This record gives sequence, structure tokens and C-alpha cells, in this order.
Amino acid sequence: MPESKNDVLPGTLNLMILKTLAALGRLHGYGVARRIEQTSGDLLQLNQGTIYPALLHLEQMGWITSEWGASDNNRRAKFYAITRAGRRRLAAEEENWRRATAIVARFLESAGEGL
Amino acid sequence: MTRAITLLRRLRAVFFKGVLDGDLDEEIRTHLEMQREENERRGMSPEEARRAALRSFGGVEQVKEKYRRRRGLPVVETTLQDLRYAARMLLKHKGTTAVAVLSLTLGIGANTALFSVVDAMLLKMLPVEEPENLVLFKSLAPPRFNPGSYNGTSDTDLATGQQVMSSFPHQSFRSMRERPGALTDVMSFGYISGGLNVSADGRADVAGAQAVSGNYYEVLGVRPLLGRALTDGDDRAGADPVAVISHRYWQQRFGGAGSAVGKQINLNGVAFTLVGVTPQGFEGTMDVGSILDVTIPIAWEPQVVKARSRMTGAGVWWLRLIGRLKPGATREQARASLENAFRQSVAEHRVARQAQAQASGGSAIGDLEPGDYPRLALDPGGQGEMSTRRSYAPSLYLLLGVVGLVLLVACANVANLLLSRAAARQKEFAVRAALGAGRLRLIRQLLTESLLLSAAGGALGVLFALWLKNGLLAVGEWGGGGLRGLEPKLDWRVFAFTAGLSLSTGILFGSAPAWRSTRVDLTPALKEGGRGSSVASRSWLGRGLVVSQVALSLLLLIGAGLFVRTLVNLRSVEPGFNTRNLLLFNAQPALLGYKEERLEGVYRQIAERLETVPGVRAVTFSSSPLLARHRSTRSVYLRGALTAAPDAEGRVKPSGPGHIHQVRENFLEAMEIPLLAGRGLRPQDDARSPRVAVVNQTFADEYFPGEYPVGKRFAFDHKKPDEVEIVGVAGDAKYSSQRAEIPPTMYVSWRQELPGMVWGVTYEVRTAGDPKGFVAAVREAVRGVDGGLPLDNVKTQIEQADETLARERLFAKLLTLFGLLAQLLAAIGLFGVMAYAVAQRTREIGIRMALGASRRRVLRMVLRQGMSLTLTGIATGLAGAYLLLRYLGSRTDLSEMLYGVEVADPFVYVVMAILLTLVTLAACYVPARRATRVNPLVALRNE
Repeated sequence: MPESKNDVLPGTLNLMILKTLAALGRLHGYGVARRIEQTSGDLLQLNQGTIYPALLHLEQMGWITSEWGASDNNRRAKFYAITRAGRRRLAAEEENWRRATAIVARFLESAGEGL
Repeated sequence: MTRAITLLRRLRAVFFKGVLDGDLDEEIRTHLEMQREENERRGMSPEEARRAALRSFGGVEQVKEKYRRRRGLPVVETTLQDLRYAARMLLKHKGTTAVAVLSLTLGIGANTALFSVVDAMLLKMLPVEEPENLVLFKSLAPPRFNPGSYNGTSDTDLATGQQVMSSFPHQSFRSMRERPGALTDVMSFGYISGGLNVSADGRADVAGAQAVSGNYYEVLGVRPLLGRALTDGDDRAGADPVAVISHRYWQQRFGGAGSAVGKQINLNGVAFTLVGVTPQGFEGTMDVGSILDVTIPIAWEPQVVKARSRMTGAGVWWLRLIGRLKPGATREQARASLENAFRQSVAEHRVARQAQAQASGGSAIGDLEPGDYPRLALDPGGQGEMSTRRSYAPSLYLLLGVVGLVLLVACANVANLLLSRAAARQKEFAVRAALGAGRLRLIRQLLTESLLLSAAGGALGVLFALWLKNGLLAVGEWGGGGLRGLEPKLDWRVFAFTAGLSLSTGILFGSAPAWRSTRVDLTPALKEGGRGSSVASRSWLGRGLVVSQVALSLLLLIGAGLFVRTLVNLRSVEPGFNTRNLLLFNAQPALLGYKEERLEGVYRQIAERLETVPGVRAVTFSSSPLLARHRSTRSVYLRGALTAAPDAEGRVKPSGPGHIHQVRENFLEAMEIPLLAGRGLRPQDDARSPRVAVVNQTFADEYFPGEYPVGKRFAFDHKKPDEVEIVGVAGDAKYSSQRAEIPPTMYVSWRQELPGMVWGVTYEVRTAGDPKGFVAAVREAVRGVDGGLPLDNVKTQIEQADETLARERLFAKLLTLFGLLAQLLAAIGLFGVMAYAVAQRTREIGIRMALGASRRRVLRMVLRQGMSLTLTGIATGLAGAYLLLRYLGSRTDLSEMLYGVEVADPFVYVVMAILLTLVTLAACYVPARRATRVNPLVALRNE
């Protein structure tokens, strides 16, 4: 196991899934998982399976929808798409995330000086 | 919103588990396939690609489990699991389950049935708009206040000694409607006594009727089902005569035809137009259970009831008043705002009475002292007239207490059964606990089982309730035609009650056993043949339950005994006349428009026609039937009373009351009341000849003690002293009921009292055989005199007498049924406890027998143990019954409901205690016999 890989931070998986679906449109579970791995530059320790409970949760909240369809090589697969509520949620989450990282970043800087 | 949808989706997931699991499997399979293909494209070997795909996916089963947990509702799923398991357990122990469900069915069913009656009689609001804003008028008057003619209920308030009167004169209605104060409006309604003779479509019958003010329906907010309601326009002089009928009457008389509206109907011979039908379920605002099928405006009352009108002259106090509060107004504000108007109307009525008395040459009526005015009181009016409801309340609550006790006994029984079974299941609990089930989880499991039991009991209980409601608790059994209009329904209110009751009983009987039996000590419980450590406490609880069951059933049995004795006593009361082979019916020719001068002929013709029917031995008639709670009294003035000074009202105080019975000349012979002295009435004693009376022995003893009464005189009217001569003395006979003391009674000839008989008579037909066989012939004979004359209230004298005892019969029947039921349940409970105790003591008994104890000795030992429980229960029950019944006897009308027996009747207490002892002895005997069959060798080897 490569030691440089990070665990997924709690709560960030939902954000990543929403962002992926917002960027790429309709996608199956495998596609979402691969896209997250690729985007994180393989720095992330992601058990692909964990996205399925997350997808279920997002669907229960009404942020994404799902339907069965055919994949590129004609396999039956479940496709997910973001809803309008999902986009609103994504925007809010992104904003939260930015604010949180900014605070942490500022804290780290100032703490380095003052303490 | 989203939460609700999420919840629904999750709930759906619980029920479509299989399909959704398949979906998830397929999705994961596709995922792994895609990853494998990509891995192969990157140059891995097929096997390597498959494994790498699985590795990057992570634990497939963990993902599925997590997914499922998120998808469904764990609480619902485990509950369903519990339910399935509970159902399996209950089905496995069919015997215990059957006994438990049966106990609960009887307990819950009895409560449900009685609640439906209580709901209909006491709790339900009128089906009108905002019933909570209605107020019912009452007046409170000092005891010396005399309203003049009064028709309604009048109770004495025990606390203040005031009369509480339900009715008002029309002056009060008019005055308060003009100035309604804090009410938006006031309406009024009154009985039309004896109903109306309705003739329509060529048929005639008698219908219960009321007269109402024009705004009656508007104030209530009741819209007609068909046609229109009455309005103020209908309730004024010169308006067209119109009437409204009830839904029931519309169905029954007009077959529910829409063409009924607009029809011409004759009411007591006056042509009316039927303009509307009131909605189903609306029975008016009069006494609960009364049937008022025809409603006319008050303005038409004088034309329809003619001489008996309550509106002529000063008018009778006969109208009930209901008003509607203005928004935000309180009853007290409304009362205060109306007090003046009411006071003035009372004064107005007084003036009218004075004028009337003066015109007719009667004695003067004095003015009212300021302190003598009645005061207004406003009660909540959402249930309409309350007097009947109130009069039934004590009996109903008493019976509710009885069925409550039955349910308690049933609960104790089920709790005991569960305890025994839980003891047998110790090992199962221990295994589950060892496998990691928490105690709460086990308790939940057991409570699920109890709730399932109580739900089954509740469901079957509804069926039992239906049967009870249509049989033993049927309205007829409550006594009195006055309740014919009452139809208790098993509606959602009753179902809600039953559901709540089932739930709470399930928790009541389930929680103690669940708590006790889940206290598992693992190690001994798991050992072979092991007995749980909770045996001691289990039997303590079980014994306590049995003792209380025995005590409660003894209480019910004693109650049953008291009422059975009451009924027996009342049935064996010697009425003083022959009740056998006597057919009764009412005839009211006056409703057909017969005038007084022709009535005499009609009454006589009917009697003579009936006498020609073969098998009829005698025919007589009287103003009212005997033993039917009918009572008519008159003041009796002896000479001594007339010399005393009149009171403030100008009235001469009478010597006392006498019950009067206007009868055909042959009444005494036909009823087989013996004539003790003098002569009977004769046809010659008519309106032109001197007034005569036959009095009973009690009358003679009361008013002429120690004298020979024949030839003595008295008067009904103080202005006509000595008017009536006593010509004979008859034997004492019961008058209005078996229970009431025989009152001083006067029999006077109908020919001299025709005005008292114009509104109908009861015929008494003495037959040679079963009077029921004569009904058709009697009908035929009456039709021969007038085809339009309906026969009313056809029944035998014995039926009539039994109807008068309806309440006593109901209590005797119900208490006996429930008492025996409770006793049976207690016996089953005792049997269970003893059987369990014997099973537990098998080894000890084996040792005793090995050491030489005889079977008899063992039998005695076990019986002694059982009987010590029983006797504790019986002692508790006797003491409890004595204290409770004495308390009820002093606080409620229980003592008045009994007859010839005290609440502390030693005979009943002893007999019931012995009965219960015998039954419980039998219940102990079976387990005791089993104990004597213990084989010492087997018992000892078993350990």
C-alpha cells in the first residue's frame, strides 16, 4: 500500500461526487469512481465500493437521480445525474469548503508566526 | 418534505428488499466488469485484472451491508422481524395463545360494547355546526315557586334545595330572543305529547313529534338532506302549514322517495305540506333516544293539538331553549346579559296567569316576591337536552366499572400465562442473551408478543362487542321505549377506544412478565435441566395475580348475586292482580279527530267488539296500563283540610295525594282485583249521576283509619267539598311499578272522567289461552270499528311488567355473565399457577414419597397450597366487596337499584364465597392429582 495516499476526509466524498456529476453530466457508478481517482491524481485512498452508499444517500436527499441505461459497450448500468437541488447543494458545499480551507490556511500561517 | 419522501423511499425499501438487493448486485457486478476490462486493456492478465478490480472496489459485502442499512429503516425491519418471530412463538403454543386471546377478547369486547353505549348516551356531541358554542337554558327556582302548568323535567338540586327546571313559557322565549345579549340567537323546541296522527298515502299511523321555533335549524346550522328546513317565515300566524320529517321516517314511511317532498300530509286532521327531510344521524336536540319524526312550527301547535295546546291562555312552561354564543362570549356573560329579559318574561307570564284565573273565576294568584323569581342558568348545549343522559349516567358508569374489572381479571390471567411460558423459555432467553441480545432487545421481543396477543384480542373483541351490542346491551334492554331512537354504533371513535385499550392492556399485562423473565442468569439457565433463578420471584408475582383475580371475581359475583336477588324479589312481588293471559294495547282515536262526545261511543264499541272474539274472557280499559311506570296523581281533600287557612298562593293544602285510575266499570273483575267491601263501579255511574269511587285498602287505611270507609266522602277540588263518595274498597294492587310501595289508589268510572281519557286508553284483554295468539284477532276487531285506528304498544301484561324491570334485568344478566366469566378466568389462572408449582416441586414430592408420604398426604399438601391462595383471595374479595359496595351504596343510587336485599347481604356473600371456593378447589385438584402420580424413582433420577 503506497504510504503517500490520503484517506477520504469525512463529508468530502459527497462533494466530489456532486462536483463530478455537475462537470461530466450523466455517469455510471464506475465512471464516477474512476473520475474521482483520476482527478485526485491517484493521491487518494478510495475504496471504489464506498461510493455506492454515498450515491444512495445523495439520491435519498433528492440531489441526484438515477436510471438504468446502456453503457458504451452495451452493458446494463445505472446512470446518475445531478438535479437542480443538487446543484444548489453543490454551490453551498463548495462555498463552505472554501471558507473552511481559508480559515485553516490562515490559522496555520498565523500560528506559525505567533506561537 | 424531502424527509417525508426519504422516509417513504426507505419504507418502500423495507418491503421490496428482494428486488432492490438484485439491483445492487447487478450494479456492483457491472462496476467490477468495467474495471476488469480496463485493467485488461492496460495489459493485465484476465486473472490479475479480476483480482485488481476486486481490490480497488474494497469489501463487497461491507459495501452491501452499509448500503442496505442506509436504504431501509432498521427499526421497522427489526420490528417486522420481532413480529414474525412473535407470531411463530404464539402459533407454536396454540393452547396458551388461545386461552390468552379468548380472555382478552371477552375483556376488550365487553369494554368496547359498553363504550359504544356510553359514547352514544353520554359523550357524543350533536351533529351540528360548532356544538361547543351552544348553550342549553335551565332555570333555578326556590322550592315555593309555582310555575303554573309545567311540562318538562324538574329536579331538586340537593345542594341548594332549588328546583332545576328544563322548560320555559313562550313569553320567555320571545323576550330573550328579542334581546339575546351575548348570544347570536335563541331557538326553542317542545314535545307534542302523544305524537301526531299522520295520514298520508291512504295510511294512518302515530309519529313522535315536536314543535320548534322558525330559527331552530338556522341556529343549529343543520341543512336539510332534501327540500328545505323550517324558517322564521313558517313560524308566524297566517303562514302556510309546513312540516319537516326525519331521515328515519322518510325511509320507513315514504320508502326514501324524493317525491315525498311537496306531498300533502294530514297531521291530526290538518293538511300540511311536507317541505323537507333532515339529514341522517340528526335526531334533534331533545332527550337522547327519543324519536321525533315530524317537526312543525310552534305557530301551528294550537291548530294541531287543539284543546291540549300549550300556547293558549297564559301558556304552559313547555319550551326548551338553546342559544348560540357570540364569538368569544362566555356562558356566564350570556347568562348575565339575559337575566333581565328572563325576569320580565316570568312576571309577564304571571300577569297572564292572573288574568286567566280572574276570567275563569278561580282563586287569585298573588304577585311574586323579589326573592321568589327563578334565575337563569346556562349549561353547555352541545349535546342537547341532558336530563335523560344524566339519569342513565350512574348505571352506565357502574357497568363500565364492572367491565373494567373483567378486563383486569383477563389481564391478570394473560400475565400469568405469559409468566408460566416465560419460565419455560428461560433457556431460549439465555441462548439469545449469550449470542449478544441485549436485555432491552429481549423485553422488546416479549412486548411485541403481548401486543400481538392484545391486538388479536382487540380484533376479535370487536366481533364480540358487535354481538353484545345487538343482544345483551341492545337498546331495548335498557328499558323504555324512550330510547328507541338511540343507535350506538361501532364507529371510528369506538375503534379508537378499542385500539387504545388493546395497546394499553398489552403493555399492562406484558411488561411485568417481560421484565421478570428477561432477568437471565446465564450459567445456571444454560445448564441441562436448569431452572432459572427468577423462579421464586416469578411465583411470587404469579400468586399475587391469582389472589387478585380471585378477589376481583368474588367482587363481581357478589354484585351479580345482589342483582339476581333483586330481580327474583321483584318478580315474586305479588302485584295484587292476575298478570297472566292479559293482552294490552293503546288506542288513541282522538288523534283521528274524534271529538269528546263521540269518543265515549268509540271506546265502548271497541270493547264490545273485542268481547265477541272467541276465547276472550273479559275486556276492560283504563287511562294507563299497570306496572308501566305510568302515574297520575290527584290531590285529595278531606273535610278537615278545607277548614285550614290557605297559603300565600291562595291554595288550600290538600290532605294528601291519591293515585287515580280512570277505568271501565268491569276493571276490577277483569283484572281480578278483589272487592273487599261495598260495591264496584256500575254503568249507571255516569256524568249525570253523583261522583263515586272505589278506593284500595291503603287509601282507606291512610285517610280513614279505623273507620268503615264505604259511604265516606272526599273531594278532588277544594271548592267542591264532599263531592266524591266511596262506594267500595278493593284489595291493594301495585300501580306504576313492582318496586314502588302500593300508593293510596282511587278507581273512578271513565264515564265521570272522560276529559282525562280523551287522549287515549289502554285496553286490557283477558284471554283464555296465550294472549300472543290473540293479536291478529284483536287487530281485526279494532279495524272493524275504525279502519284508520292504529294499535300501539301491543304487548302482554307480563311483557309490560318485565319491561318495567329492564334495568334490573340488564344488571342481573350482565353481572352474572361477567361474574361467571371472571370466575372462569380466575380458575384458569389458578390452575396454571398450581400446575407450574407442582412441576417445580416434582423432585421434592418424589423425596417425600420415597420417605413414605402417602398419596393422600401429597394431595392434601398441594391442595392446601392452592387453597391458601384462594382463601387469601376470597378474604380480600369479601372485605373489598363489603367496603366498595357500602361506599357505592352511600354515594350512588346503588341502594335504590336493589330491592329486598342490602348491599351487605350475608347470604349473597357466603353463597358466592362457597361457589368460588368449590370452583377453585376443582381447579387445584387436577394438578394435585398429577402430583400424587409422581413416581419417586423417575423424579429423583431426573435431576
